[in-house]
Amino acid sequence: MTYHITHPLTLTLGHLYPDQLNLYGDRGNITTLRWRCQQRGITLRVVGLGIGDALAPDEYDMLFIGGGQDREQAPVAQDLYEVKGIGLWAAIEDDMPVLAVCGGYQLLAHYYRPAEGPDMRGLGVFDAWTIHKGPRSPRCIGDIAISWNGSTLVGFENHGGRTYLGSAKPLGRVLKGYGNNAEDHSEGAIYRNAYGTYMHGSLLPKNPHFADHLILLALQRKYGIKDVSMLQNEDGKLNGSAHLSAKANGSAPALATLDETTALLPPLNDTLEWEAHAAILERLGLYREAAMTLQTRRQL
Amino acid sequence: MRKQKSFPFLTQESRVEQQDGVVAPPSSAPPVTVQQQANSKPKRQKSNALRAGLAIVSGRAAGALSRRLHLGGGTSIVGAVAQRLYPDIIEHLASQLEYGCVIVTGTNGKTTTSGFVSAIINDAGLRVWRNREGANLLRGVASSLVIRALPNGHLRRSGHAISVLEIDEAVLPQIVQVITPRVIVFTNLFRDQLDRYGEVDSVLAYWKQAIAALPATTTLILNADDPAIAALGIQYPGPIIYYGIDDLSFDLLSQQQTPSQHQVMDTRTCPMCGATYEYEMRFYSHMGHYKCPTCGQRRPQPNVRATQIETSGFDRLSMYITTPTYGDKLIVPLPGLYNIYNALAAVATAQALSISWEPVVSGIEQFKPAFGRGERIQVEGRTLRLLLAKNPTGFNEVLRTLFQEQQPRHVFFILNDNAADGRDVSWIWDVDFERAAGLLKTVVVGGTRALDLSLRLKYAGVPLENLIIVPSTPLRTIRSPKSSRKRKTRANRSDNAITALATTPDGNELYRPYGYGLKNALNTALQQTPIGETLFIVPTYTGLLEVHHELEQRGLAPHYWEGRDA
Repeated sequence: MTYHITHPLTLTLGHLYPDQLNLYGDRGNITTLRWRCQQRGITLRVVGLGIGDALAPDEYDMLFIGGGQDREQAPVAQDLYEVKGIGLWAAIEDDMPVLAVCGGYQLLAHYYRPAEGPDMRGLGVFDAWTIHKGPRSPRCIGDIAISWNGSTLVGFENHGGRTYLGSAKPLGRVLKGYGNNAEDHSEGAIYRNAYGTYMHGSLLPKNPHFADHLILLALQRKYGIKDVSMLQNEDGKLNGSAHLSAKANGSAPALATLDETTALLPPLNDTLEWEAHAAILERLGLYREAAMTLQTRRQL
Repeated sequence: MRKQKSFPFLTQESRVEQQDGVVAPPSSAPPVTVQQQANSKPKRQKSNALRAGLAIVSGRAAGALSRRLHLGGGTSIVGAVAQRLYPDIIEHLASQLEYGCVIVTGTNGKTTTSGFVSAIINDAGLRVWRNREGANLLRGVASSLVIRALPNGHLRRSGHAISVLEIDEAVLPQIVQVITPRVIVFTNLFRDQLDRYGEVDSVLAYWKQAIAALPATTTLILNADDPAIAALGIQYPGPIIYYGIDDLSFDLLSQQQTPSQHQVMDTRTCPMCGATYEYEMRFYSHMGHYKCPTCGQRRPQPNVRATQIETSGFDRLSMYITTPTYGDKLIVPLPGLYNIYNALAAVATAQALSISWEPVVSGIEQFKPAFGRGERIQVEGRTLRLLLAKNPTGFNEVLRTLFQEQQPRHVFFILNDNAADGRDVSWIWDVDFERAAGLLKTVVVGGTRALDLSLRLKYAGVPLENLIIVPSTPLRTIRSPKSSRKRKTRANRSDNAITALATTPDGNELYRPYGYGLKNALNTALQQTPIGETLFIVPTYTGLLEVHHELEQRGLAPHYWEGRDA
């Protein structure tokens, strides 16, 4: 079964609070999504959603929310809860891919308890909560690598709060670094197609497989393609875990044929991306993982 | 022990008081004068002088030893040892300076501003003491004083001298505990090394703490165009001089901007009421003419202003400067809008010290660019220009300076993530490399995070085939089998298998034909630049140190503290 799409594909990305939550190069994630869509002939429209703007779930195919300074985060938390909450919930329940980084991730959990002052209420998308244990507890700062879907994700983390997961499924297991709380080796959280993570760096440029995963989810959702699969699925390992993740997301696991995926997202020359990815793995002493990355990705 | 001092604002007429233990200034008195009431407590001073003497001797001995043993530059240890033996050493020595102390702090422009200020004061006839490049923490300040002190606890030639200290943003509260400055210059506040300084707000908290501890005799020099800096003046009881740009032609808002060129602003909201500032005019990042729509908090009217700014050539900015006492044309021999602010800060400082206009003009117009801040070096028929860029705003302004005339250039970027650069390089994604994409004649990327920066350039639209990437080290997994066999001790079987695979000739895109390391990167960048043309080197802080060191080794650049007082 091959899809023939006659008109050009378009996706709309809602960028939440681009002026307030933009602390850690979050623009890099948007740039990456735009560039990778453009290379495949997909038009990615980016719409900024500031404080006071309503979020109409029908208008978007993908959402991104970044991290910001504490001072900027309080009015954002209020707006997220009061203005955008219902729309965001509806979008997430309708399987819209959402990426929330750092502060945005904390705001999508139940609450953030700062070292001083009242709790900041979150949306509760992820069954998780964040506690700042006071100025004497050190910030989690440094390069980080996690396992995800049978491969790795790399990034940089810098957070004072520790996040603890309730029933939420983590995005991955920490290989090196701190992760959610520096205690249980979990990093990030997943609910349906919403991903929360502490990893910036920016996250998507050095993790092109994750960027494509998000784009693919958006395309599948918008254009009604039922088969959930990973891009570059000739890699047996990747496929197996894609299977798993699909199950965990609650949607029907199925394997797509190479035709379908590559028809939507033809592979790009990501040599530089993977080399940068492997370089971070090597800095963390993960030589085997680095070698695996270069080996598997180069065969494509 | 804090000496009671008063530094009243003084007029052109000099009244110099002779002080105990201080050489009397010559009769041709400089245009600045300080009236000092030496509060003499002979007995305590004597024992303190003894302790200070001991600290000075030990500190300098430790420094000499450290240099001798090649343990390091031997500068920071001088201060560390002296401070250990006599914690009040900075206070003890600094209070002997006849003309007191000027402090310069802020995210960007510290070095160039203190360079301008020093040149002006020098030309006004005073001896200027500075702390060395990078020595802007307490230890560094202590070192810079101790190396000029005598074993009897006195500063050498403290008469007729003033110190101009460049101080790290986070260290300011500690410094004002031990030194009461006559003037503090705040240049600007941008996000910088979030992993080290924390957020912009935490730096502001340090500064507010420092200002609260100041006596009302200290003059604050504040950038009116930076809302975070200007707000530091609210409620300060002492004298303040604001400086700013009043030239409409530099307005970003009126220029065509694509959404992808949207600049990040680090201060967006009013500190009084939390509302978002509205801009009448914006020069870069959050610098401009702003006002709060809710509470009316707005840009203060600057006392020192620049108008009629014209760029003539890469590093010749001409402008008209207006101060409460003068108004004249001024040439700033450096590139970039940010250097106008640095010059204005220096003019304002001269105002605070009651320096006449002539030394201001000569000090600024004959200024030689500070280390790596527009520095020019001739190499094999090519001109090198070193333009330090260490944070998103600094980098954006360097790129704007390079490409505003749409002229294609040869560029060599160095991105490091050592402790002094900040470990996090995410900020490169906040820099508008899109501006440079079509205008890179040749581009070489080096440093410990060369791959990250190359990726940024790729996503900014620089074609991969134009990118010359020379990382500092090869990936271990793709080192050649030969070299990995040499290092076999730690390599296991799977590594070898992978190595062999990675170096097969077919499709070996990972191979870096220009090699690795800064030396190779510099050589490549030079080779790519035809004779007679200019290569612009844009490094982060430790990248600048490395490339400068390399040029020193080749005998092309002066040693970086040569010519300094240290």
